[in-house]
Amino acid sequence: METRKPARERDTTDRRREGIESPVEGFNERGGRAARDEALRGALRLFATKVVPARNATLAALPEAPELRERAYRIKRETMANLDRYLEEMAEAVEARGGSVHFASDGEDVVRYVGELARRRGAKVIAKSKSMATEEIELNRRLEEGYADLGLEIVETDLGEWIAQLAGDTPSHIIGPILHMNAERVAEILSEVAGEELPPDATVLSRFARGRLREKFLTADIGITGANFGVAESGTVVTVTNEGNGRLVTSVPPVHVVVMGIEKMIPRFEDLSVFTRLLARSGTGQKLTVYTNFVTGPRGPGELDGAEEFHLVLLDNGRSNLLGTPFEEALYCIRCGSCLNVCPVYRQTGGHAYGSTYSGPIGAVITPLLKGDEEAKDLPHASSLCGACSETCPVGIPLHDLLLKLRNRQVEEGMAGKTQTAAFKVFENTMKSPALYNISGKLGRAAQRPLVREGTVRPVPGPLRGWTGSRELPPLAPKPFRELWRGGI
Amino acid sequence: MADRARFLENVRHRTRTGRYKPTRAPDSVWTPKGAPVPDPIADPVARFLEELGAVGGHGARVQSLDEARDHVVSLARERGAGALVRWDDEELAGFDAPLAGAGVEVAIWRDLEDFRAVAGLADVGLSTASWAIAETGSLVLESGPGRGRSVTLLPPTYVAVLRAERVLGTVAEAVGKYAGGRLPANVCFHTGPSRSGDIEMSLVTGMHGPGDVHVVVVG
Ligand code: SF4
Repeated sequence: METRKPARERDTTDRRREGIESPVEGFNERGGRAARDEALRGALRLFATKVVPARNATLAALPEAPELRERAYRIKRETMANLDRYLEEMAEAVEARGGSVHFASDGEDVVRYVGELARRRGAKVIAKSKSMATEEIELNRRLEEGYADLGLEIVETDLGEWIAQLAGDTPSHIIGPILHMNAERVAEILSEVAGEELPPDATVLSRFARGRLREKFLTADIGITGANFGVAESGTVVTVTNEGNGRLVTSVPPVHVVVMGIEKMIPRFEDLSVFTRLLARSGTGQKLTVYTNFVTGPRGPGELDGAEEFHLVLLDNGRSNLLGTPFEEALYCIRCGSCLNVCPVYRQTGGHAYGSTYSGPIGAVITPLLKGDEEAKDLPHASSLCGACSETCPVGIPLHDLLLKLRNRQVEEGMAGKTQTAAFKVFENTMKSPALYNISGKLGRAAQRPLVREGTVRPVPGPLRGWTGSRELPPLAPKPFRELWRGGI
Repeated sequence: MADRARFLENVRHRTRTGRYKPTRAPDSVWTPKGAPVPDPIADPVARFLEELGAVGGHGARVQSLDEARDHVVSLARERGAGALVRWDDEELAGFDAPLAGAGVEVAIWRDLEDFRAVAGLADVGLSTASWAIAETGSLVLESGPGRGRSVTLLPPTYVAVLRAERVLGTVAEAVGKYAGGRLPANVCFHTGPSRSGDIEMSLVTGMHGPGDVHVVVVG
């Protein structure tokens, strides 16, 4: 404690490396370590036991939910089939409103665009609202390194993201970025910034953060956000936050840059009535996120606030490779985080074990697809194929079917021999422990009922036998797993 | 421009030549059976106030704009407010004198030298709203001249005044207001106090936006 430096002397350079282009350490090692971390498991349990019942309750109170889910899936499918047209429509709409549009094929492209923009604006402070796409391309680190002469200060403004950034940590959950930290750890990190001892009290710590980050909102030269949705017909970018940082970052700084993955497109504004109703309920169990913010171009004539310059950067970074392939459905994801919360593997290992921006079942699917099979060969095996993820997904992505397809692709690519199935070991241990497995039994969702009875695991049918019985790569199921259990197994 | 053309051509090529067409829609057996079916919204204003309360906001229903004004003045007093910033809206113009009488300095959102300083230092932000949503307790806020976003965001206490006929039933109705994509530069569905649960899942209100949110429904 006595060696603490005042915040301004500290090196705040962002060196975090978990983006899509950084190497993935084996899931085995990370997952094994994490699964032995009692505190982490406790935190994961707390998160899941709060969020999952809330999610179930709000969706249960929405009679049209199943219909909305089906519509969400169809809208996304239709969007992907005509993605070029919608991207073009969106770009034209943004330009018609006086915004600028840039098509970026990879992270480097985004870094260059934002870096040059910062140079032109003479920017010093950049305030960011949570964005998975910029995590994926490690925008902060690459801007600081590539544009070191600008001396940029890039600040994450989501409370959890900011704390993670200060700690040199990456977010471990889409919705709860620092659920792997307890209040003591947070107090330690923020005390260092404060230069005084702060108590491990969420309210005190949040107040401190509010004060510090408020300065950043007011002095930022550029605000950067991701997008939850991009509306083709109007050029509208939708961000949802509970803290309000998304709305602040788009309202106060003079420049707003949106970095949006091309899969975030939806055709019409009206489609939002489907997606907004599903997203908050699935993510946190709220009916609506506190701030559902729609930005269409720069500020209008006569407006005092809102950005005077609006930039939309549309990011591909490997996404288009999935179009028209059996993996296209992975692009339908709206990043609600629900599949993480119900996944028995994620609940043992947490997000960092996946070694990538995207964790949990969707991370196990999307990371190898964006990075390449060789780079993330463990991940398709970081699953029990219990089907809970597919079942909970609000847009109906058949996640565990996709995981099976990825495993199959590894076999076709001749990677089977190289694939250590020890990744399963993490999960296998929990399967052997009725007490632990009971946690997932408590999810109380139909998907797992056939497998779990009174906290014990029945002999596992179908594809699961392949890996619970041996360490070999599981054979592909003749029928998708979901069909098996639906048929009563 | 060449970049854009190439980018889009790549996407077009993949969607047109890709052989795989997902055909299966997700099954519709999704939510738990026997779920309670929510009542249709008989009284949107009552439902709005109830939902707003459930997310930690404070709602009041008054008969006239004069009553709304009194409500706002006493709230400003209770909060010990020294400065208030408000939208440049005719409905709110009558609030200035009584607020000044209560010792509250009122700034109006027009021709401000430095909006950051004004809104950043105000104790209370006051606005109207285009719509409210009964189902969720949300306000629908549109930006425009005189209608600063910062007014609803920077001060720790935020008060909105709107007429009862502006309360819509559902999110779908509110989204429907912008069908076809005719939107001002900013629209926000604002639902209760700003909040965070990032530290050990304990709920903290007033994270970055206002933690103290009030809506006065007139009529
Ligand atoms: S895959 Fe589905 S459940 Fe998982 S984060 Fe994406 S939308 Fe949510």
